[in-house]
Amino acid sequence: MKERQKLKARADCLSREFGDEILVYDQQRNVGHCLNSTAAATWKLCDGKRSTSEVAEILTQQLAAPVDESVVLLAVEELSRARLLVELEKPARRTSRRNAIRAIGIAGAIALPLVTSLVAPTPARAASCLANGRPCASPAQCCSGKCGMGGHCNA
Amino acid sequence: MSAPGVLPQVLPLLPPGWKKSRRASVQRLYSLVVAEGRQRAGVRRMHVLYADSLRIARDTDLDQVLAALETDLHRYIAEASPHLTFLHAGVVGWQGRAILLPGHSLSGKTTLIREMLRLGATYYSDEFAVVDNFGNVHPFSRPLGIREDSTFAQTKHTAEALGATSGIKPLPLSAVVICKYKAGARWKPAPLSHGEGALELMASGIAVRTQPEHTLRRIQKLVKGAVFFKGTRGEARQSAASILSTLSADSHGGTA
Repeated sequence: MKERQKLKARADCLSREFGDEILVYDQQRNVGHCLNSTAAATWKLCDGKRSTSEVAEILTQQLAAPVDESVVLLAVEELSRARLLVELEKPARRTSRRNAIRAIGIAGAIALPLVTSLVAPTPARAASCLANGRPCASPAQCCSGKCGMGGHCNA
Repeated sequence: MSAPGVLPQVLPLLPPGWKKSRRASVQRLYSLVVAEGRQRAGVRRMHVLYADSLRIARDTDLDQVLAALETDLHRYIAEASPHLTFLHAGVVGWQGRAILLPGHSLSGKTTLIREMLRLGATYYSDEFAVVDNFGNVHPFSRPLGIREDSTFAQTKHTAEALGATSGIKPLPLSAVVICKYKAGARWKPAPLSHGEGALELMASGIAVRTQPEHTLRRIQKLVKGAVFFKGTRGEARQSAASILSTLSADSHGGTA
């Protein structure tokens, strides 16, 4: 019998729960991710022991609504794109968003899995920028994005 | 500082709420070398500012060097503070709670804040939302830096000079309003979920790269009970009125 691939969430990320969503911070890449309820529930079940079909079964029980494997596959695709899973030996089977929508149904009881990502800024980028003519140490500090040779922001 | 006579110009640049310390050791040492004597033809006397051993400004105009000191010092505190998390956001107090306006430079935060102050909001900051371990927002009420023209230069105005008052008490959060200016746009914001809103706040964190755990923990406390809106706004006056009336209509409780 063909062995099913097991899913494993990366353990080196920081995470915090916001209701049924999860905010994950990837310290290696300095990127934050918001996992919606379906992606979050899937991610929590990726313990390295379960396959997509097993995750779908558990989600069906947890959410008291039928969760098709195509929904889990879509969640895995979203999580993999955000690099929140330990790399799979073989890429996971792909599914289309259309398949997942069809499986959920128009008035679906669960949301399509979604991962939204934003890069964490450096302190220089996070703070207010400097006006033209102001002394600068790097282009990131200047509103114009240009720190001239003389160490001043210019147009 | 090579010229103690410059000290009165430096003190107003220190972060709001600064205190004298008796400690002999410091975490960061600023050295200001003031060029003294008359400027002569052919000789450019430079004022130089160092942070530890790094030269951060060198200019013939002392005001420019002092402005660099203010910027670097505030950013350093925002980045290094162990007990507070600094988010790049404007803050006003409204009906006893805080409204956060996160946004990049030039996104129009200060313009919107000025209009909110005109409508009776209390000034907290036009640069940093300072969040404590309980998720309350503290004031960082330095003068508002209003950009006047295409050179991005700022002129400073205190809240009081604009006819408003500055808040003192830490406030719980009421709302986070994420907006971008677009001429002629009508303010029709979309609500964000708590997770999406928290992600936006994380992306405004000054020290998120160096203190991600503290930042996430404080954001989690901060957003409890808050609402989030995101959208494109047009003129600040109408947008400010619309935002405040939306929040007044929401049942958040509290009084001004």
